[in-house]
Amino acid sequence: MAPAATETEWNHEYNTLRRENLFRNPPKDHSAYPALQLAVNPHIESFDRLFRDDGKPGLIAHGLADIGTKTYLDGDERAAPDGKNVLTIRIKDVNLQKPQLPPSNKKAKRREILPAECRERHASYRGRLSATLEYRINGGDPVEFSRDLGLVPIMLKSNRCHLQNNSPSQLVENKEESEELGGYFIVNGNEKIIRMLQLNKRNFPMAIYRPSFQNRGLGYTPYGIIMRSVRPDETSQTNVLHYLSDGNMTFRFSWRKAEYLVPVMMILKALVDTNDREIYEGLIGPAGSKSTENTFMTDRVELLLRTYKTHQLYTKSETRAFLGEKFRPVLGVPENMDNYEVGTEFLRRVVLVHLGNVDVTPEQNNDKFSMLLFMMRKLYALVAGECAVDNPDAIQHQEILLGGFLYGQILKERLDEYLGVNVRAVLRDYFRRNPAVSFTSEDFKKDFPNKIFQKTSENVGNALEYFLSTGNLTSPSGLDLQQTAGFTVVAEKLNFLRFISHFRMVHRGAFFAQLKTTAVRKLLPESWGFMCPVHTPDGAPCGLLNHLAHKCKIMTDSIDVSKLAGLAAEMGLSSVSEASTAVSVPVALDGKLLGFCSPKEALRIADCFRYWKVEGTHGVPLHLEVGYVPPSNGGSYPGVYMTSTPARMVRPVKYLPLQKEDYVGPYEQPHMSIAVVPQEIESGRSTHVEFSPTNMLSILANMTPFSNFNQSPRNMYQCQMGKQTMGTPGTAIAHRTDNKSYRIQTGQTPIVRAPLHNTYGFDNFPNGMNAVVAVISYTGYDMDDAMILNKSAHERGFGHGTIYKTKKISLKDDSRTRVTKSVTKAFGFAPHSHIPASHQGMLDDDGLPHVGRLVSEGDIICAWHTVTPDYNGNLINLDGVTHYEKYKDSETGFVDEVRLIGAETGNEPLQSISLKLRVPRSPIIGDKFSSRHGQKGVCSQKWPAIDMPFSESGMQPDIIINPHAFPSRMTIGMFVESLAGKAGALHGLAQDSTPFKFDEKNTAGEYFGHQLMKAGYNYHGNEPMYSGITGEELGADIYVGLVYYQRLRHMVNDKYQVRTTGPVVPTTGQPIKGRKRGGGIRVGEMERDALLAHGTAFLLQDRLLNCSDYSKSWMCRRCGSFLSVQPTVSQFATGKKKAPQVVRCRGCATKLDDAEGIDLTEIQGEIWEDGQGNSWVGGDQTTQVVVPGALKFLDVELAAMGVKLKYRVGKADEPRKGPMRPIAVGA
Amino acid sequence: MVREGYQPPTAGAGPRGSTHTGHEVRTQMTYICGDCGSRVSLAKDAAVACNQCMGRVLYKERTKRMVQFEAR
Repeated sequence: MAPAATETEWNHEYNTLRRENLFRNPPKDHSAYPALQLAVNPHIESFDRLFRDDGKPGLIAHGLADIGTKTYLDGDERAAPDGKNVLTIRIKDVNLQKPQLPPSNKKAKRREILPAECRERHASYRGRLSATLEYRINGGDPVEFSRDLGLVPIMLKSNRCHLQNNSPSQLVENKEESEELGGYFIVNGNEKIIRMLQLNKRNFPMAIYRPSFQNRGLGYTPYGIIMRSVRPDETSQTNVLHYLSDGNMTFRFSWRKAEYLVPVMMILKALVDTNDREIYEGLIGPAGSKSTENTFMTDRVELLLRTYKTHQLYTKSETRAFLGEKFRPVLGVPENMDNYEVGTEFLRRVVLVHLGNVDVTPEQNNDKFSMLLFMMRKLYALVAGECAVDNPDAIQHQEILLGGFLYGQILKERLDEYLGVNVRAVLRDYFRRNPAVSFTSEDFKKDFPNKIFQKTSENVGNALEYFLSTGNLTSPSGLDLQQTAGFTVVAEKLNFLRFISHFRMVHRGAFFAQLKTTAVRKLLPESWGFMCPVHTPDGAPCGLLNHLAHKCKIMTDSIDVSKLAGLAAEMGLSSVSEASTAVSVPVALDGKLLGFCSPKEALRIADCFRYWKVEGTHGVPLHLEVGYVPPSNGGSYPGVYMTSTPARMVRPVKYLPLQKEDYVGPYEQPHMSIAVVPQEIESGRSTHVEFSPTNMLSILANMTPFSNFNQSPRNMYQCQMGKQTMGTPGTAIAHRTDNKSYRIQTGQTPIVRAPLHNTYGFDNFPNGMNAVVAVISYTGYDMDDAMILNKSAHERGFGHGTIYKTKKISLKDDSRTRVTKSVTKAFGFAPHSHIPASHQGMLDDDGLPHVGRLVSEGDIICAWHTVTPDYNGNLINLDGVTHYEKYKDSETGFVDEVRLIGAETGNEPLQSISLKLRVPRSPIIGDKFSSRHGQKGVCSQKWPAIDMPFSESGMQPDIIINPHAFPSRMTIGMFVESLAGKAGALHGLAQDSTPFKFDEKNTAGEYFGHQLMKAGYNYHGNEPMYSGITGEELGADIYVGLVYYQRLRHMVNDKYQVRTTGPVVPTTGQPIKGRKRGGGIRVGEMERDALLAHGTAFLLQDRLLNCSDYSKSWMCRRCGSFLSVQPTVSQFATGKKKAPQVVRCRGCATKLDDAEGIDLTEIQGEIWEDGQGNSWVGGDQTTQVVVPGALKFLDVELAAMGVKLKYRVGKADEPRKGPMRPIAVGA
Repeated sequence: MVREGYQPPTAGAGPRGSTHTGHEVRTQMTYICGDCGSRVSLAKDAAVACNQCMGRVLYKERTKRMVQFEAR
């Protein structure tokens, strides 16, 4: 009998045995937690689309079609193209292999490289990319050859990864988590993900009012229509229509980061053979229709047509040739193409590329023509105020750029560069060297693919690896994106919540982060069900960094809509239309106009399509978005806009007429009536109802118990703190090499949790502990968000955690431009070298530390020596010197793992090791904890159990928090959790904490209060308690219950900073900055003010002078300067013995050698000598003072500018004040 | 810095340290293959690879020395 398929449905219960079984016997069929995989799938599916296995062309194949054929001519570059030989070359196919060992490793039997190995070896998980190219000479027979394009990083669990479709049991065998999700890349041992980006909705003419448009030139108005047009390979080209104040319109696009403006009439005329009447009627409506009375439009269209006459271009071919002539240098087309063809190429590459990008047919040009007319019509409507602007910040007009698609865009561009730039460069170089050779000659045939291509830089893989490791985009076209950096982030596995959140994270774009206006950050009602309203960080990225709602799905493939055009036509569409939306509204599919109909018919079409799509009949796919915009008075431009493209969000809701699942998109949602709960359904109005109101929350926000009871910012804080918790990153910790990894030792499953906790399998990754929490002001140590930890709870392991640190020690030069591959260093002690006994005890004979050793600051962790190969090829050490690597961190740790990292080729001696250290971190005073309600606190004292208060049954709290934490924060959810936790613990139940379960009539307090009563406890959760110190009953009953507590990763051990003296800045003598370097914390102006106000002047002096730049310095009382004093040199003191230092002022002294005719016997005072042997007399009014070092620094700086400072040391040094005398002016 | 760990007297290592002689044959260190789990002995300067499966990651074994720390 085959074993039953693994159950995937979960409730909120503990399911202890089921989970234990899953853990002991990882399923061999599929994961028990499919929801987790679904959350990550958009990333993986988008990568899968690059190279498809199902026979359809992948994105790269589409991209290659767009790149097309490049043409090169031989001979003199300056000569005319006539009579030259023509070489055409194209990339026929690109192939990406799964990660494999290089052929140079001959011995290994298992050829594949698994991701776990890459993590352990701090390497990248990448596969070989190769291209098949095809060239023809003078249109002759095609010749194929293939080139290797380097190693490209591969997304885990994609169709180029060995883990694809692995069952949990296979994953465990491959050293992964049983629930490994994939969706990220491994670059140099780090897990990197390409984050999702919000972009403008594709193929939709968006009406925009942007005052900055006026800066484009004279006559430009803020009105415009933006169309982000996307090619089949997911690259995009934005087309903008600008309205000029005289009624004209220009077409703007950017090409290779430069912007170009073309009169829109020129584009229209170039697309199809047309005449002014056709354009006029296409915009306004047929002669005699009502819209022709709209003088606003007729005036402007007339002007548009009349202005264009100045160009004197009448036919399609004339216009195309004109465009071709102008854009020839921009597009980089071959010289042998004539202007008309260049014009065609321009239209193909730039104008509304979604409607025809490769081998554009006349019908496609017609589509482009009518779409452009519609865009113009919408722009006129916008200017006339007949339609409203579309908000580009609303999710309604947005879609998601997925990592895989961006990756494909970069890859495509690299291939384009390779074929267009690199090949051109080598060919030019070749002909410069061999001017006599032509394409048809034998020499060229011999050299062509291999010898010439050797010189191209073919490493496409390196470019992608650079992109992933830095997140920087280096692109000649900019990929139609607004930012060039910050595309990738490290998927930190601090705990599982943080890890999973990375995959649900959507960024608005780095460009918007600098924007001063906060409009983009606003939480708009359109986001309902797509973006979580709770899960966004506060501070700088607030509202820009959002997270997807947990049921929100991102489409990664286009769906079959071949039937739709026919269906819509059957329902009565006409190609003739009027400008007035009261008469005709557009019906469009993916930015292609299907036709026009009356507003009434539009509603019928939308309703029918909706019904059919849920029903699954008539060939209307379920995931189609049917955006019906109803006619309104100056609202959004009405019509039916259907979308089937990838990269858009969809979410499931229930369709009422059929009681079946429907998927709705963000564009259609604002115009639909979706009831949140069944009670809300309005008959005749609501068409849909939510499956659950919690569908609008992200995975993380759903984990906050009873979050509907909390004040909303508290739920936001919890979403942040959940991600900073010291939790359980996973079960494959032994195979991971994160730089820093946190782990809680005594994690528990929460008593109070939502069913989603199990659906997402979070019991595999415990994130905290259930704690008995008393809300009481018991000692002085629990004031102000401090909390008291029961010492006995601590001793039982409450909150005990561990930090794992991994250090890679490599003897190789890690620089990217490594040329020499020879081995120059080796681990171990150098032969014949002297080794101190202490060092020998620390290391094994191989020069590596032994596993289990304690290391503290300054200990050595490995030994190495230099080697050179002798004539036998053996490596020998010549200098006999052993070098050591030291452990530099201040905290002691234990050596947990020592990994010897071999080379991929398998024939290199040991060159790098990876050392994993374990730092135990039991909770100490100053460590941070939090409940799941944004209530964080710092442990202020570990209180002895005997002194803790106890209840009638003898229970003691694990944690005491102060009641003042509640009134202002209003985290009622925490009270409810406490109540529910207590009842759950007493009855042995798991409590369902799904938000929105309780209401005014049946309250949570009642429900859990009755449970408590049944267990013999107070209905309200209060209990009489007794002081642990006196044994007396406390005056008030204390609220005690069980709350799930998280230990946050912020620990004092990583934060404390103390110093009295230490390193200083050399110029000023003040302490340096930075905890790492033993610097100080600045006592700033405000701190100074506080100290002053306290009257603690002595403390102030201590902080600002004694512990800072206190310096005793000599100065001259007479001239009042630090700079003129110098120490004297005694003639008689020998070098060793220090004579008492005598300092004299050089400025006030007289040099004896200069002063002629001085009788030495008559000199008063001591004669002293400077370093040069000159004798001086006088300048003895020096004294020592204490000043800040910064003052002397200032003096020197000012002196350099010619400003002299004069100090008065005592009262006596003050200059005598006399009467003011006038200064002689003029002279 | 006071070393907490118990330092077993290592043979040949006097209190003043010792000199590594190149002639003494270094004990071949044994490691554990990260792939197949078999024990691998590597000589000095040998290529890092498991003899059986050519695994490229080797782990150091837990030390056989007595490891003792002051419990506090």
